[in-house]
Amino acid sequence: MTAKTARVNDDLIRALRAVVGDRVSTSAVVREQHGKDESYHPPHPPDAVVFATTTREISDVVKICAGRGVPVVPFGAGTSLEGHVAALKGGVCIDLARMNAILSVNAGDMDVTVQAGVTRKQLNEHLRDMGLFFPIDPGADASLGGMAATRASGTNAVRYGTMRDNVLALTVVLADGRVIRTSRRARKSSAGYDLTRLFVGSEGTLGVIAELTLRLYGIPEAISAAVCPFPDLKSAVETVILTIQSGVPVARIELLDEVQMDAINRYSKFDYPLQPTLFFEFHGSERGVVEQVETVKGIAADCGAGDFRWATKPEDRNRLWQARHDSYYACLALRPGAKALATDVCVPISRLAECILETRRDIDQTGLLAPILGHVGDGNFHVVVVMDMNDATEVARCKAFNERLVMRALAMDGTCTGEHGIGYGKIDFLTVEHGDAVSVMRAIKMALDPQNIMNPGKIVRV
Amino acid sequence: MTETLKPKDAAQVLEAVKWAAGEGTPLEILGRGSKRGFGRAVEPGLGLDLSGLSGIGRYEPNELFMTAFAATPMAEIEAALRQNNQQMAFEPADLGPLFGGDEDRGSIGGAIACNLAGPRRVKVGAARDHFLGFSAVSGRGEVFKSGGTVVKNVTGFDLSKLLAGSFGTLAVMTEVTFKVLPAPEKTRTVLVLGLPDAAAAMTMARALGSAHEVSSAAHLPKAAAGRSQVSYVAGAGRAVTAIRVEGPGPSVEHRCRALKELLKGKGEIEELHSENSQALWREIRDATLLGSANGDPGGRQVWRLSVPPMAGPGAAEALARDLAGEALYDWGGGLVWLAIAARPDAGHEKVRAAVAAAGGHATLVRAADEVRARVPVFEPQAARLGQLTARIKQAFDPKGVLNPGRMYEGV
Ligand SMILES: Cc1cc2nc3c(=O)[nH]c(=O)nc-3n(C[C@H](O)[C@H](O)[C@H](O)COP(=O)(O)OP(=O)(O)OC[C@H]3O[C@@H](n4cnc5c(N)ncnc54)[C@H](O)[C@@H]3O)c2cc1C
Repeated sequence: MTAKTARVNDDLIRALRAVVGDRVSTSAVVREQHGKDESYHPPHPPDAVVFATTTREISDVVKICAGRGVPVVPFGAGTSLEGHVAALKGGVCIDLARMNAILSVNAGDMDVTVQAGVTRKQLNEHLRDMGLFFPIDPGADASLGGMAATRASGTNAVRYGTMRDNVLALTVVLADGRVIRTSRRARKSSAGYDLTRLFVGSEGTLGVIAELTLRLYGIPEAISAAVCPFPDLKSAVETVILTIQSGVPVARIELLDEVQMDAINRYSKFDYPLQPTLFFEFHGSERGVVEQVETVKGIAADCGAGDFRWATKPEDRNRLWQARHDSYYACLALRPGAKALATDVCVPISRLAECILETRRDIDQTGLLAPILGHVGDGNFHVVVVMDMNDATEVARCKAFNERLVMRALAMDGTCTGEHGIGYGKIDFLTVEHGDAVSVMRAIKMALDPQNIMNPGKIVRV
Repeated sequence: MTETLKPKDAAQVLEAVKWAAGEGTPLEILGRGSKRGFGRAVEPGLGLDLSGLSGIGRYEPNELFMTAFAATPMAEIEAALRQNNQQMAFEPADLGPLFGGDEDRGSIGGAIACNLAGPRRVKVGAARDHFLGFSAVSGRGEVFKSGGTVVKNVTGFDLSKLLAGSFGTLAVMTEVTFKVLPAPEKTRTVLVLGLPDAAAAMTMARALGSAHEVSSAAHLPKAAAGRSQVSYVAGAGRAVTAIRVEGPGPSVEHRCRALKELLKGKGEIEELHSENSQALWREIRDATLLGSANGDPGGRQVWRLSVPPMAGPGAAEALARDLAGEALYDWGGGLVWLAIAARPDAGHEKVRAAVAAAGGHATLVRAADEVRARVPVFEPQAARLGQLTARIKQAFDPKGVLNPGRMYEGV
């Protein structure tokens, strides 16, 4: 076989077979699938793919790779957006999709332990009958292991936080193949350094997450969702800012500009007005929701909002949020054959209007097809820049736009990435944003993975 | 008394740490020194007194964050927030009195380094969860910053989370940024009287699991309740289970009514209004109801147990009987403060065995220096975790000059 690293050879494959039997593949198709995510980044296939089913298997595979200095790339659902799963140096990809067992639900203490390959939708289907749910919802049906590894968030972050706030404990296979459990079940169990949170967001560069214990929530007594159009972007964003500043515990507050509304109207067969729009969802007791709605309606009216259109039936709400979650695909469908660069800046809420409006001017001046949307309640928004990958000048223009956007956000004390992560696509931005912290991160990486075999080339270059 | 360096700014902190690393001289990092008794007794060396790095930096109430120098007194921060009807939602405990010092002497850096939290922990988390970013000097003698002023970011390893709760063993924070939020307009506390501990745990779970947005739930057995300054609590003459609701006025009243309805039949029910509520939750937060407050050196030793809430009472009651102690429960039963008659080994083997069986861990919060030098203060780590901890310490502080041994021997 021809591999990117000479260390991947038939002998290695034989050793892997001894652990996982025929669940190892070197076929071109399988490798190709595992070398790319859902973004515009070019694929970098691994040399081999292993489909693990137990923690023990992961540990054995990592030990084999560590013994030979072969890179290991964990793979969840492959929905990340910054080249996270690209096997830049080849090696063995460990696909966790078959580790999809829900191990134990603890309704009393409101937690659940799952294998890393369980997806967020699978978990919520399992929990529904128990009146419980897990709130973190990236648009794609990502794996919980991948979500922890990228410290993902979603539309519920304002009220429920991100993966950072909802992972209680992890079972991790370290770079030498040893297995650790980061903390005991007790909720507040952070004896010693917060290792759980060190692995949350480490993008597979410090170890493979095999199992997770997650925090659960009761399905709220009352849920109410609404769609509300605004005369312009500014008034929509002002409504968001005032809502957050007033401390109303909204569950979801999403902004979609008129270009994005057009895209989802077409893709999800809606007939909403082509205006900047906010999607809201309120959670709480019957009474609490009524109060939240009153407050927010007041704020929106003062900002010049149109009428709230309510989605009260569960199926209407589901359709609404599915459409929101599909918005990335709706953007891609605006231009068949194109790919998208999804930007991800996040700024302090007080600077949000300024940042979005300047960005919008930039889009208009540059003449890009680039809808704006986002989980604006925490200052995070995306521009889905749709581009033709065969047109090098267009790609360059889109990338230059993203660079300007990142610099704009940094100048406003913001960050280049609110939720998608660094992968290798944003490695240089990380240096601009946090140059001196990168050397600390590198020291941590070297301490935990001295051979640099865990997903090499991501977050920090060694 | 150890000698102390007193830097005036971050540059001097850098100089001090570089020098210490060069000489291999251990530094004891002091914010304002109110929690010196927390953690293992540090190996002797020089003190690094940060009290010169004080003052609120950036604070615009509508930005919902504050930046302050590390040793800014909590009292100063709380006063500034109060003026704007805001608060640190994580309600950090003031452990000064528990360690025999005065109230209000802690610093923000210390609160974050010890990852303090208060009764609202069950709803909003601890210091770590509200800590957005910092500037610091690592034990390598390098200045670095992480995080910032936004509420979410995924820029690489979460260094803020690592520093929070690291007790000054990884880096010296010089400036910190943390979330601030509007203070609730109104606070009410529903009291259920006379519940045994196990029944109280069930009641608290019921309340916390309800739709009424309970922000805290604590249980004071009879002795602890009797020490409260709040007359309704002290005068109850029995155990008191306290459930807190906060928010806009009408909503709080409504939720209070609903809670009383929900808990009807469990025990006699009372209600505290805002002022009494504040006083009670402060007593619970600062663990001052344990009966050996205010610098009583011959006083009892205090453990803090983290347990799954339903397992708490069983473990705590057995330990209290065995070690001549008493317990107080916060976080719906997930946190147990256990005060025991002082003994040379602080009963650590029994405490740790009971807590391990319950699936939790224990920290020896208050005991004499010699006891804390002998007895593991923090839950001993399994071998692999211990090695990982040591590697992280090594990455930040290869010469081992920052608070060496404060958390674990040799770390
Ligand atoms: C349409 C669409 C919408 C999206 N919306 C959001 C959003 O709203 N919010 C958001 O945060 N993200 C969003 N994303 C990005 C993506 O869904 C998240 O990053 C997600 O968390 C990735 O999970 P995954 O299982 O697909 O991980 P993968 O893409 O498979 O892997 C991501 C990274 O994690 C590592 N990894 C995966 N599994 C493990 C493991 N078990 N142990 C260790 N490392 C592991 C990989 O090596 C890689 O570095 C969106 C993506 C798409 C395509």
